[in-house]
Formats: sequence, structure tokens, C-alpha cells
Amino acid sequence: MQPKNKISLFLLAFSLLCCMGCKKFLNVLPKDQLTGNNYFKSKDDVESNITSLYSRFFEKINQTQVMGAIGEYRSGEVMATPTHFGYNDGKMIDALGRNDLNLAITGPGVNRFHLRDITSWTTYYQVIQGANILISKLEEGVPGVSNTEKEAYIGEATFIRCFTYFWMVRIYGNVAYYTNPYQADPLPREDMVAVLNKCIADMKSRMNSMPWTNSDPSKRGARASKGAAVALIMHMNMWNAGFDATKRDAYYEETAALGGELVSSNSYTLLPLRDWEQVVKGRSAESIFEFYRSINYGDQVNIDAPISALFLRWPYKNPRFDNQVSLFYYTSEYMYKIFPDGVEDGRKNPLENDGWFGDQYGGGVYSGAEKFVMTKFAHNIPASENTNVNPDNTFMIFRYADILLLRAEALAALNMNGEAINMLAKVRTRANASPYSGSTGQELKDFIFLERSRELIGEGQHYFDLVRTGRIMSAQWARHPLNRDQFNRGAWTWPIDHAATNNNPFMTLNEYWESSGI
Amino acid sequence: MYSILKTTIQSLKMNNRYKNISIRQLMIMIFMLCSMQVITATAQQKIRINGKVTDQTGQGIPGATIFSGSPLKSLTATNSSGDFAVLAEPGTELVIRSIGFLEQRIMVKAGQTTIAVRLKDNTKEMDEVVVRGYVARSKQLSTGSSTTISGDKVQDVPVSNIEQLLQGKVPGLNIQVNTGAPGFRGTTTIRGISSLAVTGGGSESFLQPTSPLYVIDGVPLDADQASQFGLQQQGPGVSPVSMIPQEDIASIEILKDAQATSMYGSRAAYGVIIITTKRGNSVIPRIRYTLNSFMQRPPKLRETLGGNLERQLKIRQAIENAVTQGDIDLINATPFLADSLNAYYNNSTNWQDVFYATTFNQTHNLSIDGGDQKFSYKTNLNYYSENGVIKNTGFDRYSMNMRMDYKPNDKFTFVGSVFGGVGKTNKGEGMGLLQSGVANNGMASSLLPGPSFFQSTAGVVAALQTRNDNNARNLRTNIEASYVIIPGLMASTNVSYNFDSNTEDTFTPAAANGQFAKVYAFNGRSDRLYNRSAVNYSKTFGENHNLFINAFNEIYVESRQNSITRQERTPNDQFQGPVGYDGYFSRGGGVLTDYRNFRSASFAGSASYDYMKKYVVDLSYRLDGTSGSGIENPYSKNPAIGLRWNFQKEGFMSKLSWLDMGALRLSWGMNISPNSSLVDIYGRYNINGSYNGLQGIGIDYNLIPNPNLKPTTTMQYNFGFDAVLFKNTVEIAYDTYYKSVENMIIDRGLSNISGFSVLKSNDASIVNYGHELSLTVRPIQQGPLTLSFSVNGAINNDVLTKLPDEYNGQLIRFDPRQDYLQHIIYRVGTNTLSNYLKINQGVYSTNGNVPVDPVTGLPYQTGGRFFEGGDPIFRDMNGDYILDERDYMISGNSQPVFTGGLSTNIGYKQFRLDIYASFTAKRTILNNALADRLLLLKDPFGDRAVVPVGNLDMWTKPGDIAVYPYAYDYRRFEAIQPFRLDQSLWEENGSYLKINTVTLSYMFNKKAARRVGLQSIRIYLSAENLNTFTAYTGPNPENVTNMGRDASGGYPVPRKYNIGLNVEF
Repeated sequence: MQPKNKISLFLLAFSLLCCMGCKKFLNVLPKDQLTGNNYFKSKDDVESNITSLYSRFFEKINQTQVMGAIGEYRSGEVMATPTHFGYNDGKMIDALGRNDLNLAITGPGVNRFHLRDITSWTTYYQVIQGANILISKLEEGVPGVSNTEKEAYIGEATFIRCFTYFWMVRIYGNVAYYTNPYQADPLPREDMVAVLNKCIADMKSRMNSMPWTNSDPSKRGARASKGAAVALIMHMNMWNAGFDATKRDAYYEETAALGGELVSSNSYTLLPLRDWEQVVKGRSAESIFEFYRSINYGDQVNIDAPISALFLRWPYKNPRFDNQVSLFYYTSEYMYKIFPDGVEDGRKNPLENDGWFGDQYGGGVYSGAEKFVMTKFAHNIPASENTNVNPDNTFMIFRYADILLLRAEALAALNMNGEAINMLAKVRTRANASPYSGSTGQELKDFIFLERSRELIGEGQHYFDLVRTGRIMSAQWARHPLNRDQFNRGAWTWPIDHAATNNNPFMTLNEYWESSGI
Repeated sequence: MYSILKTTIQSLKMNNRYKNISIRQLMIMIFMLCSMQVITATAQQKIRINGKVTDQTGQGIPGATIFSGSPLKSLTATNSSGDFAVLAEPGTELVIRSIGFLEQRIMVKAGQTTIAVRLKDNTKEMDEVVVRGYVARSKQLSTGSSTTISGDKVQDVPVSNIEQLLQGKVPGLNIQVNTGAPGFRGTTTIRGISSLAVTGGGSESFLQPTSPLYVIDGVPLDADQASQFGLQQQGPGVSPVSMIPQEDIASIEILKDAQATSMYGSRAAYGVIIITTKRGNSVIPRIRYTLNSFMQRPPKLRETLGGNLERQLKIRQAIENAVTQGDIDLINATPFLADSLNAYYNNSTNWQDVFYATTFNQTHNLSIDGGDQKFSYKTNLNYYSENGVIKNTGFDRYSMNMRMDYKPNDKFTFVGSVFGGVGKTNKGEGMGLLQSGVANNGMASSLLPGPSFFQSTAGVVAALQTRNDNNARNLRTNIEASYVIIPGLMASTNVSYNFDSNTEDTFTPAAANGQFAKVYAFNGRSDRLYNRSAVNYSKTFGENHNLFINAFNEIYVESRQNSITRQERTPNDQFQGPVGYDGYFSRGGGVLTDYRNFRSASFAGSASYDYMKKYVVDLSYRLDGTSGSGIENPYSKNPAIGLRWNFQKEGFMSKLSWLDMGALRLSWGMNISPNSSLVDIYGRYNINGSYNGLQGIGIDYNLIPNPNLKPTTTMQYNFGFDAVLFKNTVEIAYDTYYKSVENMIIDRGLSNISGFSVLKSNDASIVNYGHELSLTVRPIQQGPLTLSFSVNGAINNDVLTKLPDEYNGQLIRFDPRQDYLQHIIYRVGTNTLSNYLKINQGVYSTNGNVPVDPVTGLPYQTGGRFFEGGDPIFRDMNGDYILDERDYMISGNSQPVFTGGLSTNIGYKQFRLDIYASFTAKRTILNNALADRLLLLKDPFGDRAVVPVGNLDMWTKPGDIAVYPYAYDYRRFEAIQPFRLDQSLWEENGSYLKINTVTLSYMFNKKAARRVGLQSIRIYLSAENLNTFTAYTGPNPENVTNMGRDASGGYPVPRKYNIGLNVEF
């Protein structure tokens, strides 16, 4: 062989050796862990990731009595029963009711309720990061996910992101806002109205890729849908309407319009009161968005997390000896206010008559301390063999009745009274209550507010309604009202854990609480 | 005809004579040769030629090979006295080669029957060979910075790890033999630190080791076992370097600058050490045997007061410093002090003697080699046994190294080698580097009875009876083949497979573990498949232009899996396993997280051009791709360029007869290396949470993925100067360098609005710069007396140049150990690793010296007590007259600035004396050993030993001006903490000069050896770690961690005395 041929042969062999698919050789899938480069490779990966986002958010609600502490008790209508064995811990409710968060966090019940957990927002931002990362991964493209599915998943992740911001705004007021994945740089807090406006725009641009409601009954309400997105946008608008007076009408108009769309989609219905157990169980036709929990899935729920559990007694709570009375009760004064005596209302009935208050052992709607029991949530009790378990209820966030009343509120604010009364009537008809007979104007608005208080009692909406409508500043509506100055300085918010200032030079805390010595 | 012509021209070229021959002369010569060919062709008869090959001294060289023809064919080889006989035609050219000598070519003249060949030694500096990118190159043409140590410089002192014999021999290679633990490595760094990561706390703080890459016979190895420091308590932790027997080493080369290391890729960012083992080189099989018998003695241990002296001191301390009558009454309530007639409390036990002992050890090494240029073989058998000076510790090594070289003709070469070794370490109950249990028990009061048949403390049983058996088994095979395609173009390939099996079994007897025996077992394996295919080409253009091209690719496939078993309680001491009977006392285990499945592929190419060997340009480039750094950008890049000017070859220099060699070198190189794992870039996804009946898999919120991680970039400039003067009498090598390490990984804490906790960023940089000089003088080279001296030294300064913005140029690493609080501070613009301590400014002479706060009228205070005479003066950094955690200040440098060594070699007739010393200067050590000693005095009622403090400058009475505060005031001790560890009192200058080794050897003359039937006999006496000269007050300024902490729990470095014998059959 001639040297020249030898060289060329050799070079050929060598270059073949070099080019033997180096990238393939170097791509080792780690067996011991899932890293970002071998995840997001199928639709299942997207499903399990989105599942982890819901579950992480729920982790936060499940830490302690979160929904009640942020949305129900802070205006003082709920009190603890002194004869309950857990009364010492339950006294935190008094501090909450006086808006004395210092005491609520550090004082009675600190070991059982550890409300300080509410002041930390890290988990919420983890959900936001997770949603941002998921959206960016979907936009890059995930194998096995069709274009429609991709858009729907992006819509769902956007809902999770926006809902988390909305939830945080209602707790902390102004928050830091971002949509970039892997956000590492510190950010200042932004005005909450602006944050919600960004969320509204974000959600509106993505919601149409989702169906009005999940056709799969196992996902209905439990997973975000267009209905949930619309409900969220309506809520965000109504919140902004309370704080951004100059554009108030625009917010009302959007709420009314979107609510109209939702109603006319006929995707949701109000279940009759006798089927109420289905609503609190979850995934019902009335459910728009909820954190669905079920013992059938082995879901672990903190014994103190649901609002419902604290308003129940034996035979819905065991053991009987400890649970002769419910720990918390609504004062009869408040119950008389929202459920006026003499006005017919099916919800006032005891459990046996498909109502929400009391049962064969007593404890009617006005019964107050010692007797009160909210049988609204007394369905779906698992057999517990004398151990203390919670009813197997869902954690309801938005449901159809809530949205109907929200729309009614917006319509009334826009003076579209007929339609507002129409919406109101749907809710009252289902409740077997007499139709609204009052005048329009302020009376209607107040009635709608009261209707929300009635319908959504124990669902963690009451305090937010007080705050966004400004009624928290009136002794007529709140047992412990705030004055204008307290309100403006953010007394309605929660304090923010000081860890937020670590590594973040732009961070400011809630001034009202800082000056009060948290 | 053609072939003869070619051979002639080739031989002319090889003889380097062509330079003086013009083309015309060449033509004439060719013509003459042609006519000669015609003549010889007619007279084809072979003549028997007898010859003798000798060295310069006239000694016959056995095993030299005689070649002739084209291509060269070996005809014969010389016998044991150097004689040979060949049949050859006149006009044939004979080529004589022998390893270690320059090749010689001789033309057989007509009528010649005897030939005397005198081969020249191949030892001159300019003919030295260096290895670059796995290819041997002439040192004369190398542009990078490297030092070669021949194998005979690391013999004669038996060591478990040859690294420690390199100490002080190479400028810029900083080796600190900081542990005497048998089988363990000290620390090795080339040209300063490249890491900021510190683990552990207090005396047990360690800087993450950044050891150089080891290349053993062309196969790269990682010297750092994952668990080498033994801190994680995982695995036997025997470094592969400890498995190489020193007797088998032919040479060691240390590559320092970026040009030299660039071809070794990202693993070579911390330098490269190339170890070449011996190969067969003797026609007659040769058997060499080495025996070393050595004694190891513990160094001087802590002085303690024994027996009655201890009791008296404690009682006196209690009485003289008592505040109340109750304090004095406490003596009577302490039987240990009061009941001196009780036999249990009336002893004088030397506790340190229980744990430390002088040991006697042996090593044996047998090597057999033989063969000629065509085929050679070598086998080396080694047994090394070392019992540690701490009882129940030791290291044994058994190894075998076989190698075979086969060269059937000039085109093919095959090399096969197998290395097998077993390293057995016994760590006792400690963790290798640290023997804190022994240290703690060694401080027990001498009044207590020593261990006996009837009784023993748990600590003693733990230290002496814990059965610890660590096995590292290593098997390494290597096959190499090369083929010369056309002259100058060679292709080669090398496949090696390396398998390690590591086990550790520790059994703690019941008496040492709360009456229940305990079992710990580790089981791990790792393997590596390595392949390198190379092609290189050399060509001379015209007369003066030489080009050399080298290209290769490397592939690694590596895997590792380790698992452990831990059983807290077994039924009794007789039941050591199997232990799987009950899960209740199992303390976990299973597969450890250091699982590894790794691949890398690399491509490297270099070109070297020189003009008349005067001007040299080297260019090289290497790409490394690894499976660990993601698909998007897996490559690390290593460009380098080097220039060299051999100025003595210039015409104007040729007049200078005293200049043998002179060269200037300049090099630049970069190592751009991805420093991130897949997790760093993409994040980790964990199974967590479930919702609506589905299992969730979400991102791990601990570490935020950072796709923008930049590769760590190490850039290095090197300028060097080499000269050999006065006929090899003086040799100088000087290098100066600037090395900057940028984009180092540092963890940044994140704001909680990001949801993640930590960002791996690369916002830290350090710069190392320094000078290295080595000077060798050989005043007498010929005659019965030979003499040579050499000195080398290196200055390395490291400066921290960048930290993440939010740290404002300063990052404090708080000591996790609350009993030490010896923090580390990283401050931009200063040396990288400084201490952050309270500044001690002496001792208050009297109460009146204590400053008083003019505002409150209260004296300077700490812990609620005011300072008094005899207390230490701490600088009040914030001026609030209260000493607390706000009074720290930056101080000291834990890394040595100046390192180097000295050597003297004297030969007189058959005697030879070699002395090696090394030094380290400008280093801060925290003398925690002294602090621990003085802290023993804090409680006269405790059961700890007391130490004499007479040799310390301690305050004893008002008016004394002293260095050390009063130690006996036990009533105020807890509040004042005069011997708190977080103060600059313990900072001492760690400079030292150490006599590493002294060897005196005698070589019997050949006649005497032959008389007893041997080829040669050599006996020698040697000693290691003879003495350390230092101003440091602690036990040993070298026996400290790489963070400069002198841990009293460390393993002391023993002294070694050895008698050795070399025999050759």
C-alpha cells in the first residue's frame, strides 16, 4: 500500500472514531434522580408537575386553620365555647376577632394553631415559581402534548399563578410580582391593584384555551377550568373596585359581563339543598374551584385546617366525651343579623330538614355558645371508631352561588338592579328563602352583602367581603371595626415574616404591624 | 540500491552531520556511496565482528542491542560483560541502543573485526525527556513549566505514600505531611489554592482538597477518593496513590503551568503529576530485592503532671482561688482529691502510653525484569506493612505490577500491564485523620487507675478493641498498541480498565458502646474504562524547520456505587454478623447518594514548531465533554500557547563557553471548565405531594436551576528562564506566574420571594501569583568525591478578587462549632482564607489597667463579669466596653506563602550521603493544641489531667507583664473564658524547617558482590522526619489541617528510622 493511501485510510478511520455520536455518548440519564433534562418528556410529566403545584398550595392551607384565620374570624363574629376542653387554645379566636394579630400569633393556642405560619409567604412563591417554570417548559414544547393540550395546560398553570397572587394580595396587600421562570433577583413589593390588574390581563389572555368546566367529572372543580378563571377574574376585579375608586365602574362592568358569560354558558348549576352534601363533598356541578380532598385518595388533612371542623360536635366529631360542644360558635347576635327572625330561609333549618344549623340534638341557628353546631359541614363523616377525624369535605374556594352573588353585587353597583335581583333570586330560590322584596339602591347592596354572609358562612369569604367593600370600617357590619386610619395603614393585612427582608434590599414589611411590635 | 541510498541519507541526518554538508558535497557522497555499493555488491561476504559496548567509565553495558538494516532489525545483544559478536558486511551501519544511553551508529569498515563502542549517558539536562499530552518530547523543546524527579530520589525511606517524599523537591509543589495516619495522604497543591469550600468546624475545618491529576503509566487517576478525608465515615479511603510501591517508580514529572497541563483537560486544572514505573531493561533476567526494616517513634507527647503532683496542684488551685468557704469544702466532697489513701485514686497512670507506642515494621520488594529491545518484561512484587504509632491503627499493602513490552519490528509496539493491589487500613475507632477519641482519653487524670485485666474505661476499650478493617482492592489493566504508518506518522491506542472494590467493617465491642456491640459495614465498588487513541506526526522541512503534530481523543466511562449497613445493637460481642435479624436497631444504610454513572469524551490536538531547535512555538487545544454538564454546552475548552527561545544557540552566544544551555519560556493557557451538574442547570425534580388522586412531582426548591452558570475559567501566564552553566556545574530554573481562577462556584442565599433557597452562582474569583526558583550546584562531579547542593523555593500569594455583590466584598463563614467559634472570613482584596477572631493584646497586669467606660463608670466586661488583672486584653472593636460577638476582626492567613526545600548529596567512593530538607514560611496556625492543654486547668475538681505551664509566659501575680492569662482562676473561668478559642492569642507563626530524610548508603564493590554470587549489594541507613526547627510552641507546625488548625485530636507524624538492603542477582 502506498503511504498516501495509508494516510487517507488512517485519517478516515480516525475521523470516524471521533464523530461517533458524541452527544449520544455523553447523554447519561441519571438513574438516581430526576433532573430537569430528563423530566418534562411526556404528558404524564406535565400532569404530575401540575399536581405538585396544587398540592404545594394546599400544603399552605393545610398548615393550620388558615382559611378561617384569614377570611372568617377577624371581624369578631366567632367566639370560642368556654366549656370546650380546647378552650385555652381556642381563645386565639378572640385575639383574631379584635384584630390583635400579635396576640393571636404569640398568645393562646400558639402551639396548637401556630398562626405565625400564615405570615410566611415562601410556599406561595414556590407555587408561583413552579407555575412559571411549567409555563416556560410548555412553551418550549413537551413531547406528547398536542397544541390544544399545551394551551390548556398553560391556561391552568396561569390560573394557579394568578390565583396565588390574588390569595397573597388578600393576605399581605402589596406583593412582589413576577412571571419569569427561575426568578432569582430580589424584587420590591408592588401596589396590589397593579398586581391584580396584571393578573387579570394575564388570565384573560389564557383562559379561552380551557373548557368552561372539566368534562371529566373526576376533575370538575378540582382542577382549573375557564369557569375558575372567570371566577378569579371577577373576584380580582371586585377587590380592585374596592381599592381603586377611580376605575371602579370598569371593574364592576367586567365582573358583570364575565359573570354573565359564565351564567349563560350553563356549565354550572345550583344543587338543591337536599343534595347539599354533594357540594361540600366536592367535584359537584356547583363547584367552580376547590382544593379537593378525599380519604379515598389517602389525602392527609390537618385536623385543624378546615373551618368546618371547629364548628362541629358529637356525633360529627369524636370522641363524644371531648366533643359535647363545638369549639367555635357564631354569636346569636350575628346570626340574628344575617338570618333575621321571621324571614323564611331553608338554610336556617336543622340537618334533618336539609338545613345548615343544628340537628336532632339541638343547636339551632341562633343557639350561640354551648349549643351552636354548623351542620352545613356535617355531611360526609367517615367512620372513625371514636378517634377525632374531620368530615371528608372539600376546601371550597369558588362556587356558583358565590359567583352569582358577586355578579349581583357588581350589577347593583352599576344600578342594573333587575338583573341583580335576578341573580339574587337564583341563590335564594335554592335556599328555599323568600324572594327579595326590598327597594333598590343601598338596601339592595346591603342585602346582597348579607346574602353573601349567609350563603358563604364558614367558607372563608366574609372578612374579605368586609375589607373590599369598606364595611370593615363600620360598626354596623363588623363587631370590631377598623377606623379609617388603621385601614389605610394596612390593619386589614397580615404581618409579613421578617425572613422576607433577607437577601432582599428592596423589601418592605407591613408598616402597621411593624409599628405594633410584631 | 534505493534502500541503501535512503539509509545513508538517513544515517547522515541522524548523525547530525548534515548541517555541515552542502548539497554539492552530499551529491558527491551519494555518488561515492553508489560506487561503493557496486563494489561491495561484487564482494558479498560477511565478516565476524567482535565488539564491546561500554559506558563512559569503561564498564561493559549488558543488554545493549545491536541493530542494522532498513528498517532496523536487531541482530544481537551484548552479554553481561558488554561483549557481542555479529556477522556483517563491510559498509553496514550498526546501530547500538541501550536505555539510559544515547544511540550510537557505527559504519563497519572493510577489514575491521573488532569494534569498541562507548555510549554516552543520556542524562544531560538538554537531552532530558518530558511528557506532554502522553507523548515524550525533548525538554529542550518544551515551552511549559515542569520538573522531573528521577525515581532514585524517592527510594531508601519506606513510606506508604510517595507524595511525602516529593516534599521540598519541586518548587511550587506544596506538600504538607499533615497527618501521620498510615496510608493517608497529606495535602498537595500546585501553585496555590483553587477552592473556597470549607467543610467542618473548629479544629476539624478542612478546605476542599484540589489535588493534581495523577497519570500513572499513561493512565489518568483521581488521587482524591471521595471519602479520602474520612470525615464522612464512608469507605476505607485509601488513595490510589498510596497503592504505588516506591521501588517501582522510574520517574515522576510535575507539570505546573497551563501550557504543560492543557493537553490533560479540565481534570488538570490543579496541575498534573506523571508517574512512570520501571520497565524491563536487561537481556539477562535480573532480580532485585529491597528490604526495609524501620522503627516508628511517636513524637514528643504532651507533658503532664503525674500522681501526687497532680493532686497537689489541683488542691492548691482550689484553695488559692476559692471565693467562699464552700469552694474549699468542695475539696473534701471530692474523694478523688481528698481520699488519697484509696487505691482507686492513688495512681500515676501515663494515659498517653496506653495509646501511643513505638512500632517496628518491614517492607519487602522484589522485582524481576529482563528482555531486549524487542521484548522485555517486568514484574514487581511489594509488601509494605506499617503499624501506626497510635495503637490499633496501621496500613498494609500488597501489590503486584507486571508489564510486558513487545516490539516485533520498527512499526509495531505492544505494551501490556496489569497492576493488582490490596491496601488494608486500620483506622481504629477514629476517622483516619482524626483520632479524637484517643486524644480525649489521653487527657484523663493520672490519678485514675490504668486499664487492667479487671477494668477498663469505655474510651480505652473503644480505642484499643474496636475492630476496624478497611480493604481497598485495586485492579488496573492497560494495553497499548502503536503502529508507525509511514516514517514520522504514528498511531496508537490505549485501553485501560480500573476496578476498585472497597469494604470497611467496624465492630465496636459492647464495653465501648453502652453495653451493646455495634456494627458498621461499608461496601463499595467503582470502575473506569478508559480509552485513548492518538496519532502524531513529525516532519522536518527543508533543513531547519521541524514540525510535530499530536492529536488524540480520550473516553472515560465511570461508575460507582456504595452502600452501608449500620446496626446499633447486636446481642453480644460474639455476634458480629450477619446482622439482618431485626430492623429495630438498624440505623439506616443502603445505597449512598454518591452513586455515579459518568462519561466523558475529549479531543485534543497540539502542534509544535521549531526553527533549528532555537525558536519553539507550541499551540494546543483540548475539548472535554462530560455527561455531568448538560447537553447544551458540555464542553470545556483548553487553549494554550507557548514560546521558547534557546538563546545559547544564537551565534553571538556561542562564544560564551561557560553557557551550556540557556532558554526563555513564555506561556499562556486557559482552562474553561463547566463546573455545574445537571441538577445545577436544570434542577432536581422530587416526588412530593399528591392531589386529586395523582402523584405530584415537583421541582426541588432548595437549589434554583441556573442555566446561565458560566464555566470556571482558570487562566495562567508563565514566564520561565532556564540555564546550565560551567559544564553542568550550575543549573538554574526560574518561573513566575499569574494564575487567575474566575467564575468559581459560590452559593448565594436568595430572597424568599423567589421560592428557592440557594442560587449557585459564579461570582467568586481568586488570583494566585508567585515566583519559583530552583538552583543546583555540583561543584565536584568527577573523581571519588562528588558533591551537589540544591535549593528551591516558591512564593505564592493568593488574593480574593471577587464575591457576589450583595456581600459587599466580605463573607464570613461562621464556625458551626459553638465551642470553637473560629470563623473564617473571605474579604476581597486580601488573602483568600483569613481568620475572624477576637484580638488578644496581652494580659491586664493589674486591676487598675482595665479600662472603664466613662459613661457608665463600669469596667470593661464580658459574660456579666468585669475584667481583672490576669485576664486577657481583648480589643474592644466597637468601643462599647462589652466583649461579645461584635468584637471580631480579620486576622492571619491560613495558607503558606513561602515553601521550598534544600538538598545535599555527597558521594565518596562507595559511600553516599543524601540529606533532604523542606521549609514552609509565612503561615498562620491556630494553636488549638495549646488551648486544649490550658483548658485542662479550668476545673480542679474534674477528672482531667493537668499540664505543667512553667515554660509559658503566664501571669501569676499583679504586676506581671505576660503573654498568657492566668489559668487557675476556676471561679471566674466560665464567664471570662481567658482561653477562649476564638482569639488571636492562638495565632502563631507556622514557619518551619524540617529535616525530611537523611540517608547514608554503602555500595559494595562488584568484586565483593560477585564473591557471594550477587550482582550488587547496597546497604543504607535512613531516617525520616528527623527534626523540625520552628518557633511554633505547639507539637508540630506541619501536623495541622489544611486550614491551619492544630487539632490535638490529629494523628501525630512519627519519626522513622530505617535499615535497608538492596540486592541484585
